[in-house]
Amino acid sequence: MSNTPPLLRVQGLSVAYDRTEVVSDVSFSLPRGGSLALIGESGSGKSTIARSVLRLLPAGTARARGVVEVGGTDVLGLSERRFRPLRGRTLGFVPQDPANALNAVRTIGAQAQEAAALTGERDARARRELVLETFSRVGLREPRRVYDAHPHQLSGGMLQRVLIGLAVLPRPALLVADEPTSALDVTVQRRVLDLLTGLRADLGIGLLLITHDLAVAAERAEQIVVLRGGRVQESGPTAQVFSAPRTQYARALQADVPALNPDRHRLPLPARAPAAAAPAGAAPKIEVRDVVKSFPGAGAPAVDGVSFSVAAGTTHALVGESGSGKTTTVRLLLGLDAPDTGEVRVAGERLDGRSHEQLRTARRHLQLVYQNPFTSLDPTWRVDRIVREPLDRYRVGERAGREERVRELLARVGLDERLARRRPSALSGGQRQRVAIARALALEPDVLVLDEPTSALDVTVQAGIVDVLVTLQRQLGLTYLFVSHDLALVRQFADTVTVLRAGRVVESGTVEAVFTDPSEEYTRALLRAVPRPLGVVPRQPGAPAPAPAPTAG
Amino acid sequence: MDRGYLGFAARRVGQALVVVLLAYVVTFVVISVLPGDPVTNTLRNPENGFTEADVARIVAYYGLDQPVLVQLWESLSRFATGDLGVSLRSNLPVSQTIGDVLGSTAVLAAAALAVAVALAVLIAFGTQYLPVRAQGVLRALPSLFLSVPNFVIGLVLIHVFALQLGLFRVIYPDSAWATSFAALALGIPVSAQLAEVLTAGLDHESRQEYASVARSRGLGRTRLLLRHLLRPSSLPVVTVLALTVGELLGGALITETIFGRTGIGSLVESSVTTQDLPVLQAVVSLAAVVFVVVNLVADLVHPLLDPRVRKPPTRPSAEREVLAQEVSTP
Repeated sequence: MSNTPPLLRVQGLSVAYDRTEVVSDVSFSLPRGGSLALIGESGSGKSTIARSVLRLLPAGTARARGVVEVGGTDVLGLSERRFRPLRGRTLGFVPQDPANALNAVRTIGAQAQEAAALTGERDARARRELVLETFSRVGLREPRRVYDAHPHQLSGGMLQRVLIGLAVLPRPALLVADEPTSALDVTVQRRVLDLLTGLRADLGIGLLLITHDLAVAAERAEQIVVLRGGRVQESGPTAQVFSAPRTQYARALQADVPALNPDRHRLPLPARAPAAAAPAGAAPKIEVRDVVKSFPGAGAPAVDGVSFSVAAGTTHALVGESGSGKTTTVRLLLGLDAPDTGEVRVAGERLDGRSHEQLRTARRHLQLVYQNPFTSLDPTWRVDRIVREPLDRYRVGERAGREERVRELLARVGLDERLARRRPSALSGGQRQRVAIARALALEPDVLVLDEPTSALDVTVQAGIVDVLVTLQRQLGLTYLFVSHDLALVRQFADTVTVLRAGRVVESGTVEAVFTDPSEEYTRALLRAVPRPLGVVPRQPGAPAPAPAPTAG
Repeated sequence: MDRGYLGFAARRVGQALVVVLLAYVVTFVVISVLPGDPVTNTLRNPENGFTEADVARIVAYYGLDQPVLVQLWESLSRFATGDLGVSLRSNLPVSQTIGDVLGSTAVLAAAALAVAVALAVLIAFGTQYLPVRAQGVLRALPSLFLSVPNFVIGLVLIHVFALQLGLFRVIYPDSAWATSFAALALGIPVSAQLAEVLTAGLDHESRQEYASVARSRGLGRTRLLLRHLLRPSSLPVVTVLALTVGELLGGALITETIFGRTGIGSLVESSVTTQDLPVLQAVVSLAAVVFVVVNLVADLVHPLLDPRVRKPPTRPSAEREVLAQEVSTP
């Protein structure tokens, strides 16, 4: 052979768990020092491919066929003993969820020593220096403290920096990053991606990036492979796949990315719910005034003088990083906690200082959709019982009438009637979140509090949920309080926005005003965290939006 | 050692003391409500040869002419100072009676515990090393051990090794051989629970993401097992281990009978049949103390094995500080 073999060549790779094939005939290759993104929704087989390359598939159940060559060596054929020297030294791995990727009962330093040992350094003190140096390199500002800490003492962003550091420390030729930022805040996400791509350039490491976010893939990789159902849908240089997608599926993926389609859900004003067009000066549906809430033991108040109001039939977004006070504000609004000072009014009535019974009545008009549909539904109940529960609790109508109402609610959120007898474990994440929305709507509330309703879901599934929410708002005149850290999604979905930081309001106003002309540097920093794919500018208002693709929830 | 842990340890020791005292009180009450008057029956039994003066002295010593509550208080204060009273049968101090047999039982229990832990570790590690197909046999062992009572194991061992092979003499049970076989009989059923918990723990931990990540750093199976998986898997094992001590004490009674050993078990048996209440009271209290101390040790070890229990998470602000930097230098 005249030319050197590519860093990674995957040829006709198929992987089956027991007898179910989850990856079929996948081929791609990555040159030395290059970057390639595998993109697709959950179940597309992208993580399975990553684990085949790393040979981390569960032993006994998974079977991989085909060719995976690293630097010309077929790694699938190697015995574990022959493959082990490649681990860490040639193939580095950055996992998805940093919180579970380190041993919780050992110090970071003890685990870092394992990575440092791969360099062949014999002296433990020299290895420690190497680790501390790497920690500084990945932007950890107190390397010594991190070295001695246990994983639970660090934030998710810091842990991911540690993991990236451990992966690059032995200078591998290829780094496999499996959704390295999906468990992190957007702002942290951007910095971690910057770090990853920066190191790649500095050290000449090849990057195999696995993601469900087309915007991230396009921003960070030179080549893209689009996967669906374990098969390659489309592949090629990023610019080509991105600006001229050939397949229907790639086009749909692109249309679902909020960052690329800021106006997808925005309608001309007359078409909005009648309530939204209510004359200015009408009483706001939600009014939060100067609320302060401290928790014993914590230093600064969790919420410190927050005020905002939401007009009926509109969507207001609360935006901020973890710890900014979003969740506390929501708890105050729902009456789950009482503010120290200040007041909360919903539909003109004060919520604080009410008795338990009165709160129960008020809550009928105020419902919550939780962040994580995988934990918010009782796994032992069937869908119809979950949705009917609020009706039973408040004794709404006859029993037969309630059954009918459940069917109607499921239809409203776009769920097939046949799913009513299933348990949550037999539903996808998107379907579960639709069930949660149906349950929240059961009592015909005026206000829905949406606490990061799509952050646990794929981009395509997220688009389907947002479609449902927008349609429901239009049909029922609902008022939404939408909590999110995803600014691209906020831009698509909300009318007005309040930016929170460390319990205080940084900036608030209409989404248009805040996003096009932010007055605070913090808001600008948040906006910078929205992915900007290579050379692709989000469509400006007025430009024709692509037709929303049909998506399976 | 940080102050949080010392505070936790102090509270836990306090609780243990309360439990021991309560166990003593409950035993005392149960014994005192038993029908009949075994004390005076025993004392006035002509075979024991007490004179009326002796009887009066002993009755006064135990305050048996006093109301029950006063008796309880007296007995409790003696217990607190380490005075366990005098055996009604042998007229020897109870502490001496127990001391004579305690060593033999302690050796047996310790040996049985060692057998149990060794077997459990062998089984659990075996499941991690063997290929999936061969694991089945090993995984079935714990339920087999659990379903065979320890006296059956003891009888089989005696039959095969003492009677058929003549390896050890049943009538001279204090040889090392005899002790190891008794320990085997006592330890095998106890090992079952430990093996199951440890195997389940290793299975669970090896499926965690951190195990994959550690493997991606080139760790071999043995290092992964010893450095990463063993410690988190042993957390529930420590708890179960403490609970099995109760089982060892109960099992010792049967095992000692079968193997003809003198020990706490045979002492309990004889003191029950002769209604030697001070001995009984002392043995039950001793069992409570052992059980409480072992569980106390398990509770104190737990935070040392798991740092998440030891310290509350300190929420770092570094992440936000970085953003603050980014903001201040646009």
